[in-house]
Amino acid sequence: MATSQTSAQVPVTVLTGYLGAGKTTLLNRILSEQHGKKYAVIVNEFGELGVDNDLVVNADEEVFEMNNGCICCTVRGDLIRIIEGLMKRKDKFDGILVETTGLADPGPVAQTFFTDDDVKARTRLDAIVTVIDAKHFFGQLEQGSEAEQQVAFADVILLNKTDLVSAEELRKVEDRIRGINRYARIFHTQKSQVELDAILDKGAFDLGRILEFEPDFLHSGHDHHHEDEVRSLSITADRPVDPDRFQKWMGALLQIKGGDIFRSKGILAIDGAPRRYVYQGVHMMMDSAWGTPWKEGETRSSKLVFIGRNLDGDNLQRGFEECLK
Amino acid sequence: MKIDLANPAWQQTLPPARSLATDAPVAACAFNRDGTTVAFALGDGQVRLLPADIKTPPPEAAAPLHKGVVLSLVGDPTSDGFVSGGDDGRVLRIAADGTATELLAQKGKWIEHLVAHKTGAVAASAGKAMFLFRDGEVREFGPHPSTVAGLDFSKDGSRVACAHYGGITVWSLSKDVALPPRRFAWQGSHVALRWSTDGKFIATGTQENDIHVWRVAQATDMRMQGYPAKVKSLSWTADARFLYTSSQPVFTAWPFSGKGPEGKPPLQFGDEGAGLMTVVAAHPVEGFVAGGYDSGELQLGDIRTRRSVVLKMADGAAITCLAWSPDGFKLAVGNDRGDLLTVDLRR
Repeated sequence: MATSQTSAQVPVTVLTGYLGAGKTTLLNRILSEQHGKKYAVIVNEFGELGVDNDLVVNADEEVFEMNNGCICCTVRGDLIRIIEGLMKRKDKFDGILVETTGLADPGPVAQTFFTDDDVKARTRLDAIVTVIDAKHFFGQLEQGSEAEQQVAFADVILLNKTDLVSAEELRKVEDRIRGINRYARIFHTQKSQVELDAILDKGAFDLGRILEFEPDFLHSGHDHHHEDEVRSLSITADRPVDPDRFQKWMGALLQIKGGDIFRSKGILAIDGAPRRYVYQGVHMMMDSAWGTPWKEGETRSSKLVFIGRNLDGDNLQRGFEECLK
Repeated sequence: MKIDLANPAWQQTLPPARSLATDAPVAACAFNRDGTTVAFALGDGQVRLLPADIKTPPPEAAAPLHKGVVLSLVGDPTSDGFVSGGDDGRVLRIAADGTATELLAQKGKWIEHLVAHKTGAVAASAGKAMFLFRDGEVREFGPHPSTVAGLDFSKDGSRVACAHYGGITVWSLSKDVALPPRRFAWQGSHVALRWSTDGKFIATGTQENDIHVWRVAQATDMRMQGYPAKVKSLSWTADARFLYTSSQPVFTAWPFSGKGPEGKPPLQFGDEGAGLMTVVAAHPVEGFVAGGYDSGELQLGDIRTRRSVVLKMADGAAITCLAWSPDGFKLAVGNDRGDLLTVDLRR
């Protein structure tokens, strides 16, 4: 199943972050700045935005379990409806921004774009952007799993309110973020001030751009962590992958551990295939496609990335090695 | 009605029609009570009222009535006009001359679904609530567990069923006897709802591409699977013997006479190759059915002979809505490009 990307698909940026981190400030900036683009915005709290715009849609986060026996397969029912409704407008727009509530798990939003065919036909998930309050991040980690999940899911992180902390505190926050998700791009911001092209139209879920987006993607390794912490790790291999064995292993892994694996992606050197095989997933949902061809003489190495909870790196490494020729 | 699809004229030429191009997607279409006017709900806030007679020149477009998209539209059961709902949260009663009066304003809510009953009642969904308009009064029902994603009147107009996450809720509308709502549970999200024309069954389409049907009296239910897409269009035949469903390449009718559809395959007929059916509308009187496709093709079928003919060729613009005139001689058709089509079947 390939996610072929056409210009008809409207890019969707998901904006997460704890209460008070600066999401609304960022949205207000995007809506009021002169950038010549038009965005539809789906928000939870009507009236919080200072901008009067008829493309601002109020939503109640309606998280629906899919009635298909898959426990972690949840979608945002409101988003499916609203996207369908927005597509009936005469006036088109360049993108959609979805703001989640401060305590939201980004999983259902992301999975909506893997699951619903109507949503997939009309839109594409562009990136998950997480805004973090540098001053209160450690406190928020203590209060539940939400802050950690929001970091784990992120493609782009705005480490905001850096003016309210010392350089030492900032370094600690950034280290902690990197411990959870070493693959996201981090921008230091004050009052959510960031170049918009740093967060919009990133193509983070575009299978064709997996390599382009991952700054550390070719840097392998995993450190030791506490078991229950959310972290990210990668596995590499230089021997070709047996596609049947890989499919069986990955299928079983996601069946059992899908709830704990927030994001996964990979580039595979399939035995005998002239092209890279690329995939990307959210929990148990997965999209894959053939990527660019291997060049003459190029080292055909495979790489898998996982971000999740209770990840056993050695076990994953062993499992993957058994898929190699 | 003398339409014989075996007649070569139906096989070889398209019936007379009027097509008016606009530049806003069409969300809904409807005929008025006496079938003299046809109306189209557009994605720019306009409700276009046109003479149902396709030879009468259409009037100029009027100013938009809604701010945003007109999401829902029905013929007004109390006048020769219409009732519309928009993503501006308003429900409007539109007179035959195009003037509008506001029935409801719910800021921040979308009016996604409207249904009318010949006794004069109109029901609208607005977020998690259902609003009833009858005898000059507005009553609110709900809240439901999630946004109402489909609703319909019972045959006699005494009840309204609402689809939502986790099942459906049936409200008794009587003001004399306050009955508690009945909840029919089925996991998952229900995204379309139609009450059978004999009042015995309620059908929904689900997020998981299934059909769910409840027997209202017994509260028993059944599930039909195997669709490649969500079934957002459901239509019961006038005699309630069949339930038509969209999202198949051909007309697909589940038999509800006798023991019902359990264990039986649906009746399927029509020409394959037009794509996937997006909208289906059973004829209001006879055994005909109209089906619109994602390719833009429009077919007319006859369940008695299992024949079908093409009423409009594929043109790449998905058909989004269909409505029969009350006498069943005219068909209104809208698509996602903004074409307003009225087909006259008296050839």
